[in-house]
Amino acid sequence: MSTQNLVETHNLTKQYGKIRCVNSVNMQVTSGAIYGFLGPNGAGKSTTLKMILGLARPTDGNITLFGIPVNEKNRIKLLTQTGSLIESPSYYGHLSGEENLRIIQTLKGCSAKDIDEVLKIVRLDSARHKLVNHYSLGMKQRLGLAAALLGFPRLLILDEPTNGLDPAGIQEMRELIRSLPGAYGMTILVSSHLLSEIDQMADHVGIIRQGELVYQNTLASLHSHAKSQIALRVSHTAIAADLLREDGIDISLEEDYLLFPMIDDAYVANLCRRLIVQNISLYRVEKRETSLEDIFLSLTGKETSL
Amino acid sequence: MITLKTEFQKIKRRKIGLTMSVLISVQFAWFLWATKNPDEKELAQGWMNLLYTLPLLNVIMMPTFMSVLASRLSDLEHKGNTYKQLKTLRRPGILFDAKAICGLLFVAAISIGQMLFLLILGYCHHYTGNPDMHYYALSLILNFACCLALYLLQLDLSLLFFNQMIPLVIGLCGSLLGLILMYIKMYSFLPWGGFLSCTLVGMDWNIETRVVTLFYREHSIIEYCAMGMVFIWIIVFYTTGRIAFTRKEV
Repeated sequence: MSTQNLVETHNLTKQYGKIRCVNSVNMQVTSGAIYGFLGPNGAGKSTTLKMILGLARPTDGNITLFGIPVNEKNRIKLLTQTGSLIESPSYYGHLSGEENLRIIQTLKGCSAKDIDEVLKIVRLDSARHKLVNHYSLGMKQRLGLAAALLGFPRLLILDEPTNGLDPAGIQEMRELIRSLPGAYGMTILVSSHLLSEIDQMADHVGIIRQGELVYQNTLASLHSHAKSQIALRVSHTAIAADLLREDGIDISLEEDYLLFPMIDDAYVANLCRRLIVQNISLYRVEKRETSLEDIFLSLTGKETSL
Repeated sequence: MITLKTEFQKIKRRKIGLTMSVLISVQFAWFLWATKNPDEKELAQGWMNLLYTLPLLNVIMMPTFMSVLASRLSDLEHKGNTYKQLKTLRRPGILFDAKAICGLLFVAAISIGQMLFLLILGYCHHYTGNPDMHYYALSLILNFACCLALYLLQLDLSLLFFNQMIPLVIGLCGSLLGLILMYIKMYSFLPWGGFLSCTLVGMDWNIETRVVTLFYREHSIIEYCAMGMVFIWIIVFYTTGRIAFTRKEV
């Protein structure tokens, strides 16, 4: 096991009745990373995060936090080094923002000065004495993040932190999350069903589909899968395919189109001339992009939001 | 202690003390009305009469009062979805203990307040002689135990159900059941009838002379068992509630 990983799960499984919500997930969150946990709604993101935090018991598998296998005895001790915001923020509406944080600070046993600092970070210091019932949803979400930041934990687990926020709020939350590893040396595990959000926030990504982790690597690696192809539609597909094969080009057939990797313009022009010479009618020559969205959709199925 | 401290931080502005004071004031008003203009016989039996009346009022009122107390302490957690955060900071068992102890302190304050009120009322009415402090102390302990059993039952329900109407309705039904039990027997193995089992004073009402004579009861073995059952209920409700709360996934 690598000590570089702050979170590791081994065959983590959760079953409710006959339904397996999370199936043998092997997640690895590297120290200092912003790990985007991506998947459609109902894919098992929240359940996985809840199991990591001990809020749900795994049916099978185990979890390692900070290099130490988690059990019921050391769970709370290990979690003192983490902050979390799961689904919606937790708060006492009849108390002020500061009073809410005071409760968490007392339980975490961290310095009272942290309250001032986290309120400044989430820009709630001017609303600290206001009752949380009078906060907007965005303010409540920021209060939830402030509570998670108390004690400046090594690991921050955020489940869909931008849910319910307006575009400005989303942007603000995203920038805030992105700044945390650099400013406070935190590792962040953040889930979302929005690819664009993770794309703008994370440097590592794990994609979950129907409870199974189908992809896990750096975001840069996922981007490298995005590729451009040339699509060719002609009157005699078989003859054109033979011609390309003779030139050593790797081709694939999709509907009426011949697909081959991006190649220089001179070759494409020459190819077109040769096809015409052989009395093959040229209908279409297109450039096709396989975007990050296409890769994500191919990994998760078509049912997800982008 | 830290977790208990946060329980009191949480209930700021919840006016739980005020709510309970209002509810108990209703009981006190009933007492004042029931003991007004005592005659000589009533003055002579006054101290015993207070100990006889208290459990009768409690058996009707306390199930509802305790459901209100437990609900007021628990619904703030449901409303704010706070357990998913609290359970990452403390073991669930400790969170349950803090909630139980917080309520226990309220229950103790209510029980002591009731007993002090009875003593003040007795002295104000100039009841004959002095109160039998042995019976008053014993009554305080038993009254506290009965209230605690009901509080723990209601706490279990309030933590289990998101909708607080369910435990409140059960509390109200408990009050009705207490009223019915009162007409059946002066003891009961049910948690709502604990006050009846723990009544230390009995009444002899002569149907011909219509003379009421109060006396300190000598309990039979089955009545002692019913009294002991209150303490068993405390253990049962505490244990089952703690286990259920610990096992409950957020």
